[in-house]
Amino acid sequence: MVETKKNVRYIINIENTGETYESADGEHLLVGMVKLGRKGIPSGCHGGGCGVCKIKVKNGKYRKLTLSREHVSKEEESQGFSLACRTIPESDIRLSAVGQFKKVVTKSYGFV
Amino acid sequence: MGVMRIGHISIRVLDMDAALKHYENVLGLTRTHEDSEGNVYLKCWDEWDKYSLVLNESEKAGMNHIAYKVENDSDLDVFKQRIADYGVDVEEVAGGYLECTGRALKLNLPSGHEFYLYAEKEFVGKAVGVTNPDPWPDGVKGAAVHWLDHALLICELDPEKGINKVAENVKFLQDALDFYLGEQVMVGPDGDIIAAAWMFRSSTPHDIAFVGGERMGFHHCAFFLDEWNDVLKAADIMAKNRVKIDVTPQRHGITRGYTIYFFDPSGNRNETFAGLGYLAQPDMPVITWTEDELWRGIFYHTGEEAGQFTDVYT
Ligand code: FES
Ligand SMILES: [Fe+2]
Repeated sequence: MVETKKNVRYIINIENTGETYESADGEHLLVGMVKLGRKGIPSGCHGGGCGVCKIKVKNGKYRKLTLSREHVSKEEESQGFSLACRTIPESDIRLSAVGQFKKVVTKSYGFV
Repeated sequence: MGVMRIGHISIRVLDMDAALKHYENVLGLTRTHEDSEGNVYLKCWDEWDKYSLVLNESEKAGMNHIAYKVENDSDLDVFKQRIADYGVDVEEVAGGYLECTGRALKLNLPSGHEFYLYAEKEFVGKAVGVTNPDPWPDGVKGAAVHWLDHALLICELDPEKGINKVAENVKFLQDALDFYLGEQVMVGPDGDIIAAAWMFRSSTPHDIAFVGGERMGFHHCAFFLDEWNDVLKAADIMAKNRVKIDVTPQRHGITRGYTIYFFDPSGNRNETFAGLGYLAQPDMPVITWTEDELWRGIFYHTGEEAGQFTDVYT
């Protein structure tokens, strides 16, 4: 069984897409976003490995799970960069999504 | 003589305890060894060599290396020469350089991925033994995967700059290591650019695959299950354990396999791959997928990209 605390919820505001959603205490930032059908932050591996969910937190308190240094350096981390799937809010959060999927229309050779 | 099959893959994980829970409890591998640096070695119940998966705790996710087993120790001498003649740097490392493994050839594929050939690895045996064995053992956890089946590596592809590491890998594996090309995806205005390839040495549709992407990377490693019902049950087990599933049970057009894509806790993609696909043989004609039907090849039912196949890898 997987237990999640569902009592406390925080408001997450994605600055660059103007989206707002609620994230439960103890859940990383992509869980609530995906559940509510929001798309503001690219959602990939949910394990801190692929880097597509990279964000810059502008405002708010959070704690972080281990994340891949491939995508967020120590220096970036100190500037507020993180991965949404490794970030657990401890207050309301304002952020912008930095990671990006390639648009399908820009793929001129199948996968690239 | 020759390469027999995939031997093992070494993967970087961000949190060893979380990784072990995933590979032991969800997939059903068992721990067989731990080295002095804390790397953990695991095998599947239907495998007989000491390990097929190495977990290495690291700051970054992704693959360290992939290794293939050749039939005879003397094959290594032949391949060493052929690889060097091909123009790829190759180094012989002594037994024990890879844990519990005999001498090996160490090289980088043209795509940059670290690659080994070896002939001997410590023997452990299948969980069901070899004398009047039961078809499956008791007490295996989770999806009870049979064996490490194949891996897919992302290779740099930028036709406008004339870079195609998929093509270079295919040629190298064909010419120097006697791999066969089973299926390919051809793209570009004239359909003459190979953007993905599935290659085999065993009698199944692929032992390794390459897909073109922006940078070198690790797309997934796949573990074998017998059939469709096992795939469904594996997906149930993943849901129970809140594993992040990328693509729910589906059929691949390419290789005809039944698949689930999902992620380990560090974001490395795994697959459970079921079914024979088809009998792959050296004289089998190469199967080609065209650019307009390439997603039909990857996800046969919808013919569309599902999950995050293209952009998400470690
Ligand atoms: S979704 Fe892959 S790092 Fe967050
Ligand atoms: Fe696969």
